[in-house]
Amino acid sequence: MTDPAAGAFLGLPARAILWVLALIAFGLFGWRVAAYIRVLARARPEPRWDQWPARLKRFVLEVLFQRKLLEEPLIGAAHLLIFWAFVFYATSFFWNLLRGLLPFLPIPYADQAAWMAVALELFGAVGLVALVVAAARRYLFPPPRLEQTRDAGIILSLITIVLLSSLTGAGALVLAGEHHAGVGIASLFAGLLSGLGVSPEQGVQLNVAMWWVHMVTVLGFLVYIPYSKHLHLLASPFGVLFGSLKPPMPAASEGAARLEEFTWRQLFSGLACAECGRCDRACPALNSGYPLSPKELMHHVKEMIMASLASGGNGHRLLGDRVKPEAVWACMTCLACIQRCPVGNEHVPVLIELRRRLMADGEIEAHLQEALTNLARYGNSFGQSARNRARWTQGLDFKPKDARKEPVTWLWFTGDYAAYDPRLQPITRAAARLFQRAGLDFGILYEAEQNSGNDARRAGEEGLFETLMEKNLAAFAKARFERIVTTDPHSLHALKNEYQWQNGGVPVVHHTELLWELIRTNRLPLNKRLNGRVTYHDPCYLGRYNGVYEAPRQILRALGVELVEMPRHGSRSYCCGAGGGRIWMEDVPGIQERPAESRVREAAAVGAGTLVVACPKDWVMFQDARKTAGLEDKLVVKDIIELVEEATNP
Amino acid sequence: MNLVVLMRMVPDVVEELEIAPDGKSLDQEALRLIVSESDDHALEEALLLKERYGGRVTVVAPEAPEVADVLYTAAAKGADRVIQLRGVEPGLGVAAMAEACAAALSAIPDLLPADLVLTGAQSIEDLDGLVAPLVAHRLGWPYLGVVTAVSEVSNGTATVIKEFQAGYRGEFQVSLPAVLGVQAAEKPPRYVPVAKVRAAMKATRIEEFEAPQPVPEPLQDVTIVALAKPEATGRAEMLEGSVEEVAGKLCELLAERGLL
Repeated sequence: MTDPAAGAFLGLPARAILWVLALIAFGLFGWRVAAYIRVLARARPEPRWDQWPARLKRFVLEVLFQRKLLEEPLIGAAHLLIFWAFVFYATSFFWNLLRGLLPFLPIPYADQAAWMAVALELFGAVGLVALVVAAARRYLFPPPRLEQTRDAGIILSLITIVLLSSLTGAGALVLAGEHHAGVGIASLFAGLLSGLGVSPEQGVQLNVAMWWVHMVTVLGFLVYIPYSKHLHLLASPFGVLFGSLKPPMPAASEGAARLEEFTWRQLFSGLACAECGRCDRACPALNSGYPLSPKELMHHVKEMIMASLASGGNGHRLLGDRVKPEAVWACMTCLACIQRCPVGNEHVPVLIELRRRLMADGEIEAHLQEALTNLARYGNSFGQSARNRARWTQGLDFKPKDARKEPVTWLWFTGDYAAYDPRLQPITRAAARLFQRAGLDFGILYEAEQNSGNDARRAGEEGLFETLMEKNLAAFAKARFERIVTTDPHSLHALKNEYQWQNGGVPVVHHTELLWELIRTNRLPLNKRLNGRVTYHDPCYLGRYNGVYEAPRQILRALGVELVEMPRHGSRSYCCGAGGGRIWMEDVPGIQERPAESRVREAAAVGAGTLVVACPKDWVMFQDARKTAGLEDKLVVKDIIELVEEATNP
Repeated sequence: MNLVVLMRMVPDVVEELEIAPDGKSLDQEALRLIVSESDDHALEEALLLKERYGGRVTVVAPEAPEVADVLYTAAAKGADRVIQLRGVEPGLGVAAMAEACAAALSAIPDLLPADLVLTGAQSIEDLDGLVAPLVAHRLGWPYLGVVTAVSEVSNGTATVIKEFQAGYRGEFQVSLPAVLGVQAAEKPPRYVPVAKVRAAMKATRIEEFEAPQPVPEPLQDVTIVALAKPEATGRAEMLEGSVEEVAGKLCELLAERGLL
């Protein structure tokens, strides 16, 4: 067996050449990586070192098995195969390099180990097929918002050279008659080479030549990675490992506009981005024509880091020329970008930091300002007196208990829209009747309830969120209850996940979870089977934020209606456009199809006569949208509460 | 520039207003007070002038419930000094209130001379817009009211914009010091995040100043006889039916009332 690093090249010992090349390549690689680490070290800290079992589980699922990439099955499978080919080829490379540099090591070259030879052949072959799929998708059938860069072409070519050189080398060895424990692919290449007129004697030389082509290409690759978009090869495993295990919300800050004002994890997203465009394809703001692209946002973060690497020093800004305030305000915080991102990037926290900064500088949209001012003064965004909060109860033939005055099992946190919007008050009363009918021991806080602050927080008004949280927690402390039910997914998220409860807090559930429990246990008997074809819209803050997908569907199935799913359902649900404070802001010029209009059209297209919602904001948004989309005759919008009441009426 | 802003708390009409048992005043217990909207605009205009020409903004406000929040918010927005005026009770009446405030302005240490005193042109308690001119009268300074912008300040004069109906605007020049009754600032009052207000609460001291005695008495020659809540008027009648039916009913109604 020949040692490919034993000979000489142009009179120089090959091993010395290998040493020089390796030192140069690792030097350049290490220098660049160190530069990135120095930039990240200048950023604010953000602890991501907890919950290792959960992190490792996520790492296995999303890096080793590439779960999120497989959501787009064809390219997902291709990427998974290229990834594993890469893993084996990287192992083989380091093994060969070590053996080539240090000839005294008592180990064979990688392809001389039978199991590795088999793996290299197998992954080499499937990797080549996957590369063809990847190239065909990229150049013949590119999905929208995929970034077409020269980088991608270079990388695809480099990987092809790496795989081909290895397989050709193995083929040459077979041709030379050396023992090779393969699976037949090397023999296939041997046949090809023989067909091309390569003699067995030349086979030995060709094998050595291919070994060098392979090694030099990978060394080049190594240098190329940290200077290109394929930095994601290096960064994304860490991005996933140090990703947020729950919907991310940056710790209280004065916001950020410049590089050193962001946290290291926020900057890291820019390095991990592979520009695949999955976030853009999911983004309701972008797809409605708002001036926001989550992919561009990540790209601008990266540009800012690159500018800092190029010139050094502080002061490189994200906010301003790179990311305009219009883009910052466009986000609906629906979480679709983060949910879809295969490399664990966190787009929304970056936007929230930018919003906080704009807020601190007083650069805020007029209607948002009005809503926040109202929240601060009256505790609701409607600018109505707190005393009117329970006015919706006036149409009931019973008076809900005042949880501040008598103990209850369930405290019902209604949320602003259910309480104040006159269009929604009949639904709120229906919910009260259902709870009453089921014999639920429940009460409300009357004027002591305040807006939960969820959307103020996402609009970048952290201090206001804290104030509202403190007022609500003070009101909770004066009431006696065991559990909280809320008719508002936005409040659900804040109360359940973001409030700083003393003594651990109480269970918080959404009304669909409670209603399903009441129906399932027959405390709320269904007296009538409903019919008709309905579809269900997953609210962002119920589904993606809190993982409640089944309860509302169980209810709908129990009611007897035919439930058809829209193409975008479950964790892929499409935002109505109201989240993150957008419901308070004006539409900007240039909007093509509002998210809510896109959604009602989707509902009508699956043949549903009723679009069922479980969030007051959705109800408002879709009622408007069905009118502006001209679907008034085809589609009705109903809260699930209305359907349950219909089915339980005696 | 040395800018003084006079801000007052007025009843918040978002909350229900109750008339006191005497039938002549608002029930102070049931009231919730809010800073007068045009006073907030006066503060904004002062802050804009400070940004443009430099100087200091001092806010003076008679004591009232929740006035501390207003003063801290003003500080968070950029006011340099905030003063609460003690001994000037709400319910004093507009004229006496203006008298008392003007007297206090002269008496507060290191406040005057100032270049401008700005306050709201009107408030819901002062529909006649008397406070600003009365303060000017008492100080002996010129007065301009219903101001919508101060476009320039130079050589001891200010150029002031007033807006009239149908978009007509007038440009006035007034020698300084002067009192301005502000209708609206050049820009809507700025938003200041809660975190900044909280920081201002820690960093700012509200100065307390006892209003000079004796505080003027409410005027005796004009007195309130009675206050009344809005009376519910007749309900609107919705015409229902097909287009033809509704049109028919409408014609009948109009004919009935002699309008056709």
